[in-house]
Amino acid sequence: MLSADSKLDDVREGETLKTKEYAILTDYLTKNYGDFTAVNNLNLKVEKGKIYGLLGPNGAGKTTLIKMLCSISTPTSGGAHILGKKIPDGDIASKIGYMPQETGVYFGLTVDQNMKFYSRIFNLQREKAEKRIAELLKFVDLEDWRYEMVDNLSGGMKHRVSLACTLIHEPDLLFLDEPTVGVDPELRVSFWDYFEQLRDNGVTILITTHYMDEARRCDRIGFMQRGRLIAEDSPLKLLEESGKDSLEDAFLAFARNEDTMRMGVV
Amino acid sequence: MKFYRIMAVSRRVFRGVVNDKRSLVLLFLAPILAMCVFGIAFSGDVENVNVIIINQDQGFTPPMGDTIYLADEIVNNLNTTTLSIHNMTSIDDARAEVESGQVSAVIIFPEDFSENAILKSQDQSYPDSAEITIEGDDSIVNIKTAITTTVSTALSDTLTENGVTPAIQLNSDPIYGEDAEFIDFFVPGILAFVVYLLTTILTLITFVNERSSGTLERVLSSPVTEGELVMGYAITFGTFGVLQVALLLTIAILVFNIMVVGNVLLAFLAVAILAISCQALGILLSSLAKRAEQAIQFFPLVILPAFLLSGIFWPIQAIPEWIRPFSYLVPPTYAANACRAVMLKGWGLDKIWPDILALVIFAVIFLALAVWTLKRSKN
Repeated sequence: MLSADSKLDDVREGETLKTKEYAILTDYLTKNYGDFTAVNNLNLKVEKGKIYGLLGPNGAGKTTLIKMLCSISTPTSGGAHILGKKIPDGDIASKIGYMPQETGVYFGLTVDQNMKFYSRIFNLQREKAEKRIAELLKFVDLEDWRYEMVDNLSGGMKHRVSLACTLIHEPDLLFLDEPTVGVDPELRVSFWDYFEQLRDNGVTILITTHYMDEARRCDRIGFMQRGRLIAEDSPLKLLEESGKDSLEDAFLAFARNEDTMRMGVV
Repeated sequence: MKFYRIMAVSRRVFRGVVNDKRSLVLLFLAPILAMCVFGIAFSGDVENVNVIIINQDQGFTPPMGDTIYLADEIVNNLNTTTLSIHNMTSIDDARAEVESGQVSAVIIFPEDFSENAILKSQDQSYPDSAEITIEGDDSIVNIKTAITTTVSTALSDTLTENGVTPAIQLNSDPIYGEDAEFIDFFVPGILAFVVYLLTTILTLITFVNERSSGTLERVLSSPVTEGELVMGYAITFGTFGVLQVALLLTIAILVFNIMVVGNVLLAFLAVAILAISCQALGILLSSLAKRAEQAIQFFPLVILPAFLLSGIFWPIQAIPEWIRPFSYLVPPTYAANACRAVMLKGWGLDKIWPDILALVIFAVIFLALAVWTLKRSKN
């Protein structure tokens, strides 16, 4: 109890300084669904201009965490600062881009209509939107499919439309929930090249993935299990620390370690 | 609340419906079909009822003058649209026809029909009255009523022609709805029903998809608020409601020649408000379903109360009194009422405002609830 309070003070004390440095800063963020704790007193710090990868098994709380950070899910307790502002905050919504796992595009609209809709809700001027749509479609390699109904596209193509919609308003902070599912390897590599390019332009990216080759390209990785962050560092350091040569094995080692520690406490 | 975001949502919902041919058919073709089918089949007028007439009347010859056959005159006055008349002589054969279901009734004029009728009318102390006997299959109430009404109309027409005026006269002078037929009563009702049903169902399905495809979350993570989202839907479906009604009314006027004595714009207003509350109802219901298949299970829940309670096919007065309060809990009741008052009676806003107010109250409550459920789902 005492230690928890002192940690909270620590965060508050450095708030002005830290909230400026960090794109994401959570403060004992917790989400309960009935008896189930999806996210458990999580303190996550993501520096601005970095790619942060969240790794962990299904049900570890990654998506719930992202939903809270996007203000579409209200925390049971705790809070978070996004881009230096305490959420929920009306201005922050236009600076973030959220790509949901379920794709978040309208299947009954064409690619063009989807992108126009998302450009309108962010109040992009028409010429700007037009230019942006052309750019993004080129990037996701869907120029020939612009006037096709999304419903008629393959799974991977839908994800590409989804990514293009997420980027339409040039957000400062991206939440990408498994953005490369169903995307072919070649395009996945070009996605990651683009993510790194965005990062180099100062964009912060929080990403979840199950592909370990992608995880290696993150600046920092957080291993999540049962709503907690069980380890966090750069991919190289995590490998070093665990003494393993793959991130999968490293995760398993940390997860086992965490379990024995919990058992020990009990 | 930012108007451009509301309009962006509204345009998107509009696009989604226009892109989907099935939705368009549902919105615009289905109501026309429903109106025509119901309008023709359900016209409420009973026609071509088979009856057998047994006319044994011998006529009556007054001391000075020709023989009078009163029964013949009555038979000639029978409305032949309602009744298909067959003549027979044997009562037993005729009864057998009724029993076998070929014929609905036997109408019997006895031998002394004219005699008794004339003598009795000249002298009230004459012992025997003239009698018409209708022996029929009374199991179908509408047919039975149609037969008795037709016979009594023919009877009173015949009496008037012969210069006999009954002591008591019943005058029915229409204040509203002169020459109104069932279709005139029915069209305003079907307008309200169609808009209620299709708006609710279409929003329900659209919104369930919005939830399951992740678009709802993406939109709510953007600057679009729950209120703006609901308003965007409201504008589009309100507009669709007006378009549906405009189309239906045009067809109703051209094909069914229905009566419109009032200002059609007021009917549009009532239906637009109805559509807005219905789309909010659709959003509300969508929070109870995870997938479109689950949403379909709500259809009977949406259809039946409105169908039975809101006075579309029959007046609310025909609904048992104890259940009538529920009629006032379904919004189409007020829209049907308002449309009827406008179209059949030519009432203005000064008289239909209670119905409009009720619709506005429903809309406000449903919109607020829709926004509330969207906000609540964050927890």
